[in-house]
Amino acid sequence: MLKVENVHFSYGDRPVLRGVSLSVEPGEVRVIFGPNGSGKSTLLRVVAGILRPDRGRIVIDGEDVTDRPPEDRRVGYVPQRPTLFPHLTVRGNITYSLRNGRGDPDRLDELVKLLGLEEHLDRRPDELSGGYQSRVALARALFSDPRVLLLDEPLSDVDPAAKRDLVRRFREVLDRAGVPTLYVTHDPWEAECVGDSYTVLLGGRAVDVDTVDEAIERLKRGAGLGEGA
Amino acid sequence: MIGRYELLGALFPPLFFLFIVFPLVVLALNLTPQGLAQALGDPYFWSATFNTILCAVAAAVMGVVIAVGFGYYHLFKRDSVIYRVADFLNDLPIALPHTVAGLALLLAFGRRYFWWLGENGLAFTLVAVTLAMLFVSYPLAARAVQAGLEEVGRDLVEVARTLGDSPAQAYARVVIPALREALLGGFLLGFSRSLSEFAAVIMFGGNLPGRTQVLASYVFTRVEAGDLEAAVAASVFCMVLSLVMVALTRSLTGAGGLRRAQG
Ligand SMILES: Nc1ncnc2c1ncn2[C@@H]1O[C@H](COP(=O)(O)OP(=O)(O)O)[C@@H](O)[C@H]1O
Ligand SMILES: [Mg+2]
Repeated sequence: MLKVENVHFSYGDRPVLRGVSLSVEPGEVRVIFGPNGSGKSTLLRVVAGILRPDRGRIVIDGEDVTDRPPEDRRVGYVPQRPTLFPHLTVRGNITYSLRNGRGDPDRLDELVKLLGLEEHLDRRPDELSGGYQSRVALARALFSDPRVLLLDEPLSDVDPAAKRDLVRRFREVLDRAGVPTLYVTHDPWEAECVGDSYTVLLGGRAVDVDTVDEAIERLKRGAGLGEGA
Repeated sequence: MIGRYELLGALFPPLFFLFIVFPLVVLALNLTPQGLAQALGDPYFWSATFNTILCAVAAAVMGVVIAVGFGYYHLFKRDSVIYRVADFLNDLPIALPHTVAGLALLLAFGRRYFWWLGENGLAFTLVAVTLAMLFVSYPLAARAVQAGLEEVGRDLVEVARTLGDSPAQAYARVVIPALREALLGGFLLGFSRSLSEFAAVIMFGGNLPGRTQVLASYVFTRVEAGDLEAAVAASVFCMVLSLVMVALTRSLTGAGGLRRAQG
């Protein structure tokens, strides 16, 4: 279980997160909505340990990890831009965490099959389309056996036709993983397919909502009032 | 008629050709068979060529190694005093007269502190030539690494760390391999810059024919001796070597990266 408790974060003197709290159960996929620049990526990077919150706590499985560096948190992270290691093959990317004693080599086949990567294991990242790069990034994060999964607009580089199929695949993979997941997207349809619960990030605060429609509604109102409101 | 605003563009070709291309062309046109024969028959020409390439390769390799360390600071210790000083000093050799650099090296690594290594310390040896080249060319390697890091981005490091790498592990396993092109570019730039160095080399390494003479100082010596034809031949040789290096650098690393590295 992931708990974000009253997290504040500023870049210099520019506050981005002003008391964000949320929690995600094992197996739950919580979709984060928010306008550009509202701090969605920042929130994920704070949870990953890349950024240190000015205040507040990050708790994973009951353990306060706020002071731990990313390498000691066991979080799976798929950043906003596709970020595969360019000098490694798909296989080398997915199994990277083995170098640090993480992940189970026997799980490779299952992941690869679920994500449809069988034919691509020996390719280099620059030979892959955006959709396949996303699959590899997700596989790499999951292979490391994370306690929390963070996906930052993982399908934003994927063309709409490929996306339909891919969202369903991702949903299936996430279901099997059973890990608390934060999933950032702008696409209501994608959110509906992949999400169990929804949070809107607006003006530096997080508000949980029940449906995608409610999230969109809040975003519209937020835009009308201005972000700071 | 040319409008006022087109003037700068219209002036470019004649100015460029007059001041940049014309001297090179004149140099090439002054090449004579006798001069060529003289230079190629001179053992000092060959030892100067050998010294130049040997020392420039050594300086470029050392430059890249140090630049890789600088890159680590650029990524992980950007707020440290060491990084700030290093970043600032990278621009220094552009402004500092290279005679001054040579004198500084001479005082630092000469007799005063390094008497135990020989009569003149390290001065007037091929090691001195290499260190002089390193001093002036390292900043180019550092800039190449810096530009490469901007491109590779922090994302790679961040992902690697969530997969269990410490900063140093992420740097060694992910960043350095991803920087291959930038490192090659840094090596070639450093090598080229080293080929061209004269002042620092002559101050610290000296100009001992057959021992520490390099091509740049060989040309100087031939001109001083009134041996213009041999000087021209050696110069054309240098020019061809430089053009090859520049062409190689551009084709291997993409001209864009280079321009950023030098800027
Ligand atoms: N490294 C940074 N330094 C300074 N400001 C940043 C940095 N990264 C993001 N920001 C700013 O913080 C705000 C939130 O950014 P981000 O978390 O990327 O938003 P989102 O992912 O929701 O679009 C934006 O206004 C952005 O300009
Ligand atoms: Mg973002």
